[in-house]
Amino acid sequence: MNKIPFDACPECDLLINPALPVVGEKAHCPRCGYLLQRPRKESIDRTFALSVAGLIVMFPANLLPLVGIKFLSNTRDGTLWSGVISLFAEDMWAVAILVFLSSILFPVLNIVLSLLISGHLYFNRPNPHLTAWMRWLQHIDEWAMLEIYALSIIVACVKLASMAELKFGFGLYAFIALLVITAMLASSMDQYLFWQRIDQLNRKNRHEN
Amino acid sequence: MKTEGTALAQGLIRCHDCGSLTRQTAKPLVCKICGNHLHARLPNSFQRTLALLISGYALYIPANIFPIMTVSRLGVGEPHTIVGGIIELIHSDMIPIAILVFVASVLVPLLKLLGISLLLLNVYCRWQINARLWTVIYRIIAFVGRWSMLDIFMISILVSLVDLGGVSQVIAGPAATAFAAVVVLTMFAAKSFDPRLIWDNQRSL
Repeated sequence: MNKIPFDACPECDLLINPALPVVGEKAHCPRCGYLLQRPRKESIDRTFALSVAGLIVMFPANLLPLVGIKFLSNTRDGTLWSGVISLFAEDMWAVAILVFLSSILFPVLNIVLSLLISGHLYFNRPNPHLTAWMRWLQHIDEWAMLEIYALSIIVACVKLASMAELKFGFGLYAFIALLVITAMLASSMDQYLFWQRIDQLNRKNRHEN
Repeated sequence: MKTEGTALAQGLIRCHDCGSLTRQTAKPLVCKICGNHLHARLPNSFQRTLALLISGYALYIPANIFPIMTVSRLGVGEPHTIVGGIIELIHSDMIPIAILVFVASVLVPLLKLLGISLLLLNVYCRWQINARLWTVIYRIIAFVGRWSMLDIFMISILVSLVDLGGVSQVIAGPAATAFAAVVVLTMFAAKSFDPRLIWDNQRSL
């Protein structure tokens, strides 16, 4: 199977010669301006390191209280899970599931999949599931909404500040760290390079067998 | 083979996920690299987007009519709609937050519904337009949609924190489900719209 030596723009389908940008450059589609490639410095190493860091921070961010309120000697702590549980208890199961998926499951999957993929690429281990993982990662990407959750914590705190005393838990710092790591992860990952490396690994693997 | 025109015009199909090209004549029509099924354009892109868009419009109405949450203080319930919540924020002098909530939960969903409608009209009527500009509009719509989840997350935080028995309690209202559905449906609509359709209709390229 001879490989077709062209690329096509995903948003306007223009056939183009593969741009070979170096680190720091960006390749845009000449017709619609789509960002085709954006090579990153040590993309695989950094993605691997960041996803390990994310895996560690994930636990305190999910389990420890983010914000607590104190109101007439009543105190309540809120974790990422407590919102989901309260919504479920109020029979708002559809909203509860959506909140669970976009603030807990998909951010976690995002980090786990990044770790699996970059780990295999880093150690040059072929795996038949690599392509499937990479596809899932691309599809769940926009449904992981940690940054929006962070903004809604701010809005909720401003609303509550006038009626109750707020205290910020350790979980909030872990959550902010997770947010920063996830953002860095998204910018360190060069999908073009990742697909190339996955293809190379799979070819090598097929050759050996 | 020259690199002129679109991949489709040259008989090539780009894989949606990994981006590699395959000849249209390949059998079976699967991507050699990632094993994905290949389609030159997203299958039934127009119909799917239209169906999701109509559902989005339909649910936008209950999302704005019904209360999105009920704040009860000392047993007295006070239902809030989306707009009502924003007005209350303005009254309590939290203008920046009011603007933020207004943009995320009123402006963005509405502009998104209208924007996708215009994109579909564009494709349906084969308007000869500035395709590059409309691709940028598509990108903005696809990027901005998820920020409407702000209100849903805020409700989930308030519901879990403000649950102090009879003293004060926040209960989510029926509009929350409708609004969440609008956000999800419009996100799916933007995802199922294939921007290459805009370019396919341009005669002067």
